[in-house]
Amino acid sequence: MYRGWTDRRGFIKKMAALSAMTAASAIFPGILFPEAQEWLGTGSEGLDWKKSPCRFCGVGCGLLIGIKGGKAVAVKGDVRSSVNKGLCCVKGYHSIMAMYGKDRLTKALVKRDGAYVETPMADALDLVASQIERTVEAYGKDAVSIYGSGQWTIPDGYVASKLFKGCIGTNNVEANARLCMSTAVTGFLTSFGLDEPMGCYEDIDHADVFVLWGNNMAEMHPVLFSRLLDQRLKRKGVKIIDFATRTTRTSMAADRSILFQPQTDLAVANAICHEIIENNWVNRVFVESHCSFRKGLTQMGYGLEDHYEFKDQSEKIDFKAYKKFLADYTPEKVEKRSGVSAKDIKYMASLYGDPNKKVMSFWCMGMNQHTRGTWIQNLVYNIHLLTGKIASPGNSPFSLTGQPSACGTVREVGTLTHRLPHGLVTNERDRAFAAKIWQVPAKNISPRPTYHTVEMFRALDRGDIRFMWIQVTNPMVTLPKLKRYRNGAQKADRFIVVSDVYPTPTTDVADVILPSAMWIERAGMYGNSERRTQYFEQMVEPPGEAMSDTWQLIEVARRLGFERQFSYEEETHIEEIYAEYRKHHDNDKHNMAPLSVLQSQPGAMWPYVRGKSTKWRYNLKYDPACTNGKDFHFYGKPDGRAVIWQRPYEPAPEVPDEAYPYWLCTGRVLEHWHTGSMTRRIPILHRAMPHAYVELNPADAKRLQIQTGDGVKIRSRRGEITLPAAVNQRGVPAPKQVFVPFFDENSLINELTLDAFDPISKQPDYKKCAVRVEKL
Amino acid sequence: MKKRLGIICLFTLLFATFIAIWDYSYRKSLEPAYTPLKRRITDRIPLESGVFRRDKHALDYADMAIDEKHRHSIADYYRNRAFPGAPPTIPHPLLDERSMGGKDCLSCHENGGFVPKWNAYAPVTPHPEMINCRQCHVAQKVQTQFRGTNFEKIPAPAIGKGANRASDGRPPVIPHSLQMRENCLACHAGPSAPKEIRTQHPQLVNCMQCHISGQASTTDQKPLRERI
Repeated sequence: MYRGWTDRRGFIKKMAALSAMTAASAIFPGILFPEAQEWLGTGSEGLDWKKSPCRFCGVGCGLLIGIKGGKAVAVKGDVRSSVNKGLCCVKGYHSIMAMYGKDRLTKALVKRDGAYVETPMADALDLVASQIERTVEAYGKDAVSIYGSGQWTIPDGYVASKLFKGCIGTNNVEANARLCMSTAVTGFLTSFGLDEPMGCYEDIDHADVFVLWGNNMAEMHPVLFSRLLDQRLKRKGVKIIDFATRTTRTSMAADRSILFQPQTDLAVANAICHEIIENNWVNRVFVESHCSFRKGLTQMGYGLEDHYEFKDQSEKIDFKAYKKFLADYTPEKVEKRSGVSAKDIKYMASLYGDPNKKVMSFWCMGMNQHTRGTWIQNLVYNIHLLTGKIASPGNSPFSLTGQPSACGTVREVGTLTHRLPHGLVTNERDRAFAAKIWQVPAKNISPRPTYHTVEMFRALDRGDIRFMWIQVTNPMVTLPKLKRYRNGAQKADRFIVVSDVYPTPTTDVADVILPSAMWIERAGMYGNSERRTQYFEQMVEPPGEAMSDTWQLIEVARRLGFERQFSYEEETHIEEIYAEYRKHHDNDKHNMAPLSVLQSQPGAMWPYVRGKSTKWRYNLKYDPACTNGKDFHFYGKPDGRAVIWQRPYEPAPEVPDEAYPYWLCTGRVLEHWHTGSMTRRIPILHRAMPHAYVELNPADAKRLQIQTGDGVKIRSRRGEITLPAAVNQRGVPAPKQVFVPFFDENSLINELTLDAFDPISKQPDYKKCAVRVEKL
Repeated sequence: MKKRLGIICLFTLLFATFIAIWDYSYRKSLEPAYTPLKRRITDRIPLESGVFRRDKHALDYADMAIDEKHRHSIADYYRNRAFPGAPPTIPHPLLDERSMGGKDCLSCHENGGFVPKWNAYAPVTPHPEMINCRQCHVAQKVQTQFRGTNFEKIPAPAIGKGANRASDGRPPVIPHSLQMRENCLACHAGPSAPKEIRTQHPQLVNCMQCHISGQASTTDQKPLRERI
């Protein structure tokens, strides 16, 4: 009887397959399968289609780029990419146009007597190398530095780290990712001991509730947001909750928009944990077998003064002590401080607490650019750990990134002062391991971390650093409290080298400007937010003498006498460097896919073990590195347990007062990517968003008699700028708050921002400072 | 008395067991007999599924008179695209800056129709299920450029005799990629369709039985059974 039943099932299965095949082949002549039509090679419109990850944000969409006559002429989404499944955003579709701006830098420029003189590339590189030598001789190794970004490809960052840390012997290697996601790193390290998300984008296809923590996803990560919307359309009961300080497109699209006062997310997250415990929604089995409780130092300060240092010290606590700590965070108490009603807090807690719902939390700069950023990430992890909703399909706290290779290069290659490709500079074993692969003596690598980004620019101002090489980033737009750091860079006796593709406010302070080859004008790899490494080949020739950042570094390294360490062949150097880099991660917890895999498919996720990407880390079912025999193993921590942190609410360093009564929040817009040096040169994007503006709450605007388009002066204790007002436009800030996007180099909002940072991650807070608003 | 109780207990037990077994087997039988074919990727839309999406309007389209005064041309069509295949920009002011699109856009662009304000027929979107419209389609607020560009727009695919049809009377081949544009009737039927590409027979909804792709890669496709 039983046998017969399976036979029947099998028969039906076969019939279904057969009939589908018959139906398909019957209409075959007219049918166009995605695999056949939309993949690489010569295809529609006579173009040669090649695959690449997108140049812009950290989502890492797969693009197909149409090449004709040596030029990139068209873009479409890669239907084979599991990231974007064929869809792009407006920046991605027009990304290739960023290579063809009229004012591309094509020749090296050297400043002589206040004017830039076109110089052959070889001579400019000679000058850079000799200047490094001269500076080291006169001021010591720690007077030279390199400042890169999450737009560095993996080979760029790898050779930069190898040259500066391994060969020259200074830990003055930083990247603008310090301004972008170093808090995400410390959040992961403190809670789990290992960086980067445990889950992946596929979680979106399983989750029932999406909670966005200060994350305007509809504009900043539009392709992922469309995946959320798609799920809401397809499945019953899918909800999007927008928890933010400002009403945005995301709020309009969400099922529920909840506004909170700046900085009080700390209190609300604790209140959610309080409710979860109060209502017995704690997943006891999970917490007892996979979590431990700790508390750290409080009243850490804000890093506003030079030479500020902080090291967290933590101690173990128990569940009882943690519960007692949370007694201060009842929804009713938190309501007063946060402006979020107790009802809303209980509602959010109930979503997290419901055992039948899978919950995904998303965040990006709202939680990263936060003077207590590491704490707020810990608190959101607490919520997921208490309910056991973590590291399984659909249950996923997910930290998004803003740059194409913030994860791939800065976090994985480790281009930060305290890091090595594998491990920390402070660890003797890690130093010896890196030195062996780099073929340098272990004593070359300094055991002492030097300056994090803000302190590095302070050191440049003070004169502790005399030489800085800036690649693929625009700090003279993005640094907070900009004036001090611009003046510092312009001081006599400072030598600044800038490698870029267009003139920017940063090239304005340079002594040598090197023209770079961008994106598909050279080969490289990016690593996106879901641990996916993606390769792109060189598709077009760089203009003029433009050279990839990797090759610029190699040329300078050879001039400094490190020919042996940088003996790569020009044709195959990307392949060689990647193969060498993989040796640093040769273990089950972080193995990277070989290049041949990256070439044949739209990327692979590390840990790539025995030919397979790992989708969910720490979960025995999916992650081969789990070895404790239990269903989950947080192997980043010595005891295999994730940490639930006791972190209190603490106020922001500068809060509005009578003289400066408004909160200032800065951020991005859909059309422009970061400082706009590329997207503003794309005519369609510039025309859609031609300049910055200041958003005001309608009530404030009415009181100040300001209408959209009126000139408004905003002033902080550090500077002032004038901007046109925007009332009831793209976003609406809460009363007594204003918002200004930072893409516009003609209206530098960072003249006003505060250089306070999270003491644990050293990442500045661009979202909160006090300003005054006046109508012109 | 005890015996009676025992019998009642026995029958209750039997009855409960019966219900449990019946429930178990019922639930088992609910398991789907159909197992979908394994797909290579969890694709949003296979290209063909969209072809028939607007066919309920096909007969209406066939009945519609041609409004000579308000016809779009193919030049209009390509004018607000950065390159053939790029998402079109929005050529009119927006209802609401804060909206992601959705209902605001779809109220005109889902089914089209004449808009007196712009004196034009609203083009119909081939993908109304994607509601974050403005992630790809942006308005043009100014006509200036930031620094100028050297980007060259490649010419649109040629159409007509000798280009995508061998001779008059033979069905033209499809000269463009179908990604995001697999819904033929959205652009090729009705009053908003550019006059050069408006079909005269929208009622024959199975477009691809006659119009095949004119792309090089389709000529040397592997037979289907080799690919499955």
